[in-house]
Amino acid sequence: MAGTYASLQKLLKKCREFSLLGKISLLIILLIFLAAVWAPYISLHSHKISSGPALLPPGKGHPLGTDDLGIDLWAQLCHGARISLIVGFGTAFLAALGGGLVGIIAGYAGGWVDKVIMRLIDIMIVLPDFPLMIVLAAFLGPSVLNIIIVLALFSWVFPARIVRAQILMLKEHSFIKAAETYGAGAWYLLWKHFLPAVFPLMAVNMIRQTGRAIVSEAGLSFLGLGDPTSKSWGLIINHATSFRGIYFTEFWKWWLLYPWLALTLIVLSLAFISRELERIVNPRL
Amino acid sequence: MGGNAVGQPHRLRFLEYGLTILIVITLNFLLPRVIPGDPFLVISSQSAAEEEIVLTAEQREFFFDYYGLDKSIGEQYVAYLGGLLRGNLGFSLYYKEPVSRIIMRRLGWTAFMVVSSLVLSTIIGSVLGCISAWHRDKWPDKFLFFKFIVLAEIPVFLLGLIILFVFAAGLGLFPLAGAVTHFARYKNCWEKIFDVLHHACLPVLVLTISRMGGMYLLSRNSMTTVLKKDYLRTARAKGLPERRVLYRHALRNALLPIVTRVFLSLGTLIGGAILVENVFAYPGLGLLMREAVRLHDYHLIQGIFLVVTLLVLLANFFADLVYAKLDPRVNQTNMQGG
Repeated sequence: MAGTYASLQKLLKKCREFSLLGKISLLIILLIFLAAVWAPYISLHSHKISSGPALLPPGKGHPLGTDDLGIDLWAQLCHGARISLIVGFGTAFLAALGGGLVGIIAGYAGGWVDKVIMRLIDIMIVLPDFPLMIVLAAFLGPSVLNIIIVLALFSWVFPARIVRAQILMLKEHSFIKAAETYGAGAWYLLWKHFLPAVFPLMAVNMIRQTGRAIVSEAGLSFLGLGDPTSKSWGLIINHATSFRGIYFTEFWKWWLLYPWLALTLIVLSLAFISRELERIVNPRL
Repeated sequence: MGGNAVGQPHRLRFLEYGLTILIVITLNFLLPRVIPGDPFLVISSQSAAEEEIVLTAEQREFFFDYYGLDKSIGEQYVAYLGGLLRGNLGFSLYYKEPVSRIIMRRLGWTAFMVVSSLVLSTIIGSVLGCISAWHRDKWPDKFLFFKFIVLAEIPVFLLGLIILFVFAAGLGLFPLAGAVTHFARYKNCWEKIFDVLHHACLPVLVLTISRMGGMYLLSRNSMTTVLKKDYLRTARAKGLPERRVLYRHALRNALLPIVTRVFLSLGTLIGGAILVENVFAYPGLGLLMREAVRLHDYHLIQGIFLVVTLLVLLANFFADLVYAKLDPRVNQTNMQGG
């Protein structure tokens, strides 16, 4: 565990090497995170109950305006940030955990187990993921947990491949061989040697997966497959675009634009951060 | 099935694809049976909202019998496979029509959109990528690189929404939805073609932009690697004109990974197409899928999924074949291996 902690610290220290764009991205993610944590305190109105006239443009009292039911948009955005972050990080965590486990099993066991897992990964890669996500989400029914499970089912492949490759490489190293001859068990090797080695790559990949999961959740919600009780950003966009007459009025200039902006900002920031980290962790790319 | 297995004999690759198709079909068969709940119950229990389907007890009985849900799971599976082989994808409860016929009607629009943006994004992306690589670290490269990194990361439906609202709703330059003007009477066929293209403009543009970033980065990388190769130095040393070196020697070799990517990216592109169709209400399979989800028309959802997946798998298989033809090194390993 100490080794993993040390590599995390090293990774955090590397953030100082970020370009200006990377630093701005980091700041945006931090702000969104804080908005999500303090959502009930910084939103002036309820995010569920009407608090003014419908379709009010941004102005006094309602900084970002209201939707067709008169619900404050700023409050909806703050609470929506929670859903996006939970889905994003939840998926990334689950995918890293599951994928990491699969990768460890494949790399460590080898033989036919490895072959079967690699074939499975090959199949996962060629399958078009979004249509399959729609099918699964349609059958499982809309809820935040189901969405996370469905998204994680399509995100474990990359972590599994990284971990497997790293383990195959490490297994041949003399210090691992030495540890093994001293009687180190699989569990010990995992915590002491394998995990710290794969951690930086996994962490970078998790950030990327977080972004992808947020996008996919927004896409599914936009199609009407999101959790109808959750009010995620994608769902606000779904409501706005299915409002009759949205194209012929000015309402989209706040009702659609702000959730759009929030999603674009969070996705771009996560992408830039992972790009910067990739450059630092793996300079070859 | 990406690049790692390229060197294997074709027969094995064929087997792998067969296995994948079988898994997809089995998944499609098992999903409605494994997941708790009863699709017919869902339909019949819902209140009669505007377009919902309500089944009477007799209809329910009929469907149970029709789909053989009272038989054993093995028998059902065999019947399902047999039906698929005869092109039977099931029966849409809402449209009261065979699923295959509905899909055939809509497939054209999706194919048109996907293929045209595939061609456009590949050409534009790789040309710009090569230009970028030739001027690496000078201003054209820096400018393009930054622009495309941003474009490559913006999710396709967010890009579609903003373009729809700015160019169609705000400026009124393009139609808001659909693929043709309803009830239009065309004077001649050119007017009709213009109408179709006018409607397709924005969806194709969005899909093209969303994929161009990836294409650009790939060709930039590929070209940069090729430019460092020894044979280019040899070509220059022979005194060939720079133009010939770049177009004949460098471009040909740099195009190799781009060609395979054209087919391999089809899966992602179709995911994007589903969203873009819904943004622009373009009447392809994606819009159909959303309608099917909204109406709980499970056979239609599954039928679309199966058709889309088979098409993507076919494209991947094709990519393998093309790659083997283009790259003589693959053929060599083939002969040694098999």
